[in-house]
Amino acid sequence: MSIFEYNGSALIAMVGKNCFAIASDRRLGVQLQTIATDFQRIYKIHDRLFLGLSGLATDAQTLYQRLVFRHKLYQLREERDMKPETFASLVSAVLYEKRFGPYFCQPVIAGLGEEDKPFICTMDSIGAKELAKDFVVAGTASESLYGACEAMFKPDMEAEELFETISQALLSSVDRDCLSGWGGHVYVITPTEVKERILKGRMD
Amino acid sequence: MKLDTSGLESSAPLFGSSNELIDGISAGPSFEIPDTMDFDGFQKEAVQMVKPAKGTTTLAFIFKEGVMVAADSRASMGGYISSQSVKKIIEINPYMLGTMAGGAADCQFWHRNLGIKCRLHELANKRRISVTGASKLLANILFSYRGMGLSVGTMIAGWDETGPGLYYVDSEGGRLKGTRFSVGSGSPYAYGVLDNGYRYDMSIEEAAELARRAIYHATFRDAASGGVASVYYVGPDGWKKLSGDDVGELHYKYYPVMPSTVEQEMVEVAGA
Repeated sequence: MSIFEYNGSALIAMVGKNCFAIASDRRLGVQLQTIATDFQRIYKIHDRLFLGLSGLATDAQTLYQRLVFRHKLYQLREERDMKPETFASLVSAVLYEKRFGPYFCQPVIAGLGEEDKPFICTMDSIGAKELAKDFVVAGTASESLYGACEAMFKPDMEAEELFETISQALLSSVDRDCLSGWGGHVYVITPTEVKERILKGRMD
Repeated sequence: MKLDTSGLESSAPLFGSSNELIDGISAGPSFEIPDTMDFDGFQKEAVQMVKPAKGTTTLAFIFKEGVMVAADSRASMGGYISSQSVKKIIEINPYMLGTMAGGAADCQFWHRNLGIKCRLHELANKRRISVTGASKLLANILFSYRGMGLSVGTMIAGWDETGPGLYYVDSEGGRLKGTRFSVGSGSPYAYGVLDNGYRYDMSIEEAAELARRAIYHATFRDAASGGVASVYYVGPDGWKKLSGDDVGELHYKYYPVMPSTVEQEMVEVAGA
């Protein structure tokens, strides 16, 4: 198994009507052994910007800490929060700095930009940005996730329907992957509120 | 290298022509031997492709009332779950069970082959084969294919004239007699629960619950185990399937979701 499959992870971000949802699994493992079932993969950068990091857990944690540091400096200098598009470029630059000794992570960035327009993007481990209008996925179950999202996604879903769709896509995909699952963590973000929910999934 | 090909003999000759072959000693079809001196190395690539990772959890133990056999039902190919409903407890004959760990094809074929040989023994000797004898037959066949890439980690459990019998047989040629075994990547977790709760004098229901819990705990911790926890009982009248519970539901039965105290309540924000 490759280094990306050492810890196991699954991430989705989906766009709805003036809202977005980002979801992850909750397993932390060391190859086949499950160590924790409450591991956090999605981090809040600010109220309207969330970052999910899949891949090697130690690199995900370190990368998150570096990015939070850069964002806090930005906040001090510019006296405002970063726009999601700007943050995506920052992540891409930070990853490419380590081009010949990369962080073994795949980030998923989701946020609300100007005029509450949702923005999602994902990157490979050396910073190649992939902007999408509908959904992005990452992790060991990514092939299953692509299939499930493609089948279940509809444009312009409201927050509740978006929550149902992203949850079903996540749970059905991780049920076909040994290394991710053990529950789910879903954030649904609208211009007025952030709703965090834990999913009851198969614990095998 | 003389392989034990008795397992592959059939009474009908292949081409029906050569008379010297049908003389009571039938040399039937056998696996072709590769044209190489390096038997251990040449198959490395092929073996890697099949990836015999033994990703499973199976267990069996002897107790006062007989033998309890349990297994999960997940088949994995690397990280991908290829099936959640594999039958890992193989019914060799009405009073003997075999468990499957390792290569599915290898286990299924050789267990069925063992069933054939056990039946032939019954017909030739007018009595059932013992568990000792059956496990020895299988172990000898697997030993003769040692180094050729077979992956089998099986337990033969049965009830014969001497009472309950349990043997562990693997593709390296090992054969062990014992009272408690667990095989597969989830076996350390199953052993923990099994060793803790085991008593010789348990009732059938208690033993079944212990076996079920051990499999459940292994499916929780081991990524390569999961699906359905099947539990079989082997007694003086033969084997009987006791239960097949989905481990996803078992988790919430053993650890039900409790309503937790609300720390922070979210309220709808009026307007934007």
